[in-house]
Amino acid sequence: MTAGDKRKSSVNDIKAEEQDSPFGIWLSRGLHQLFDDVANEPIPDELLRLIEEDRNK
Amino acid sequence: MTFHDQVIAILPKLRVQALSLTRNRAAAEDLVQDAVCNALAAQNSFIPGTNFSAWMHRILRNRFISDLRKRRETTDIDDVPAASFASPATHEDSLALKDLSMALSRLPSDQREALVMVVIQGMSYEELAEATDCAVGTAKSRVFRARRQLEAWMSGDLPTNDKLRVKVKALRDAMDARRRAGHSSEDLMLS
Repeated sequence: MTAGDKRKSSVNDIKAEEQDSPFGIWLSRGLHQLFDDVANEPIPDELLRLIEEDRNK
Repeated sequence: MTFHDQVIAILPKLRVQALSLTRNRAAAEDLVQDAVCNALAAQNSFIPGTNFSAWMHRILRNRFISDLRKRRETTDIDDVPAASFASPATHEDSLALKDLSMALSRLPSDQREALVMVVIQGMSYEELAEATDCAVGTAKSRVFRARRQLEAWMSGDLPTNDKLRVKVKALRDAMDARRRAGHSSEDLMLS
């Protein structure tokens, strides 16, 4: 394992610890309630048309 | 996957990023559309095989910053109502969700964006740094500060950047002190 890998692994350990704390779990659940709907909404036709028109240029 | 397929595939993630930055669904939709237009116009500058996701997130972020600068020339952004993360309240803990939504809207946009991209999109700090064009340490610090600040606010601390509430609290304290000392507090209201 290189020094860079060790640093990366330690940073991600801290991230996991924070997310697994009671507040982290509550926060994650709340953020999902606020943002998941937006991610799952259908893409507006106008936007898809814009992309397809550019593809067919 | 073609360039255009990649653009379509990343749209849900761009929406989440856009909402985290703008705090408003309608503004987020506009931002995504503008970012897609910018990306289509700049598609020749994308190098195939490099990180498309980070490239696209950076375009959206740069567009947000550029729009913000233009708007600041004509309006005070703090006057814009911090509208609507929340869906209609159907959850039993909708009050806590509303509080979280309000607390989120008080965070600086870069911290809010960082937190959402890590928690909702599951990005690592390295991916977040690449997508937001900053050092890994900065990305990590933004997420850490966002968490700590939210935790403090949600446990009842007064937001330090909420100028109105801070002013009201200071005024109340001063009025209480004057009353306790037997003075009128009306002149404080006029100062």
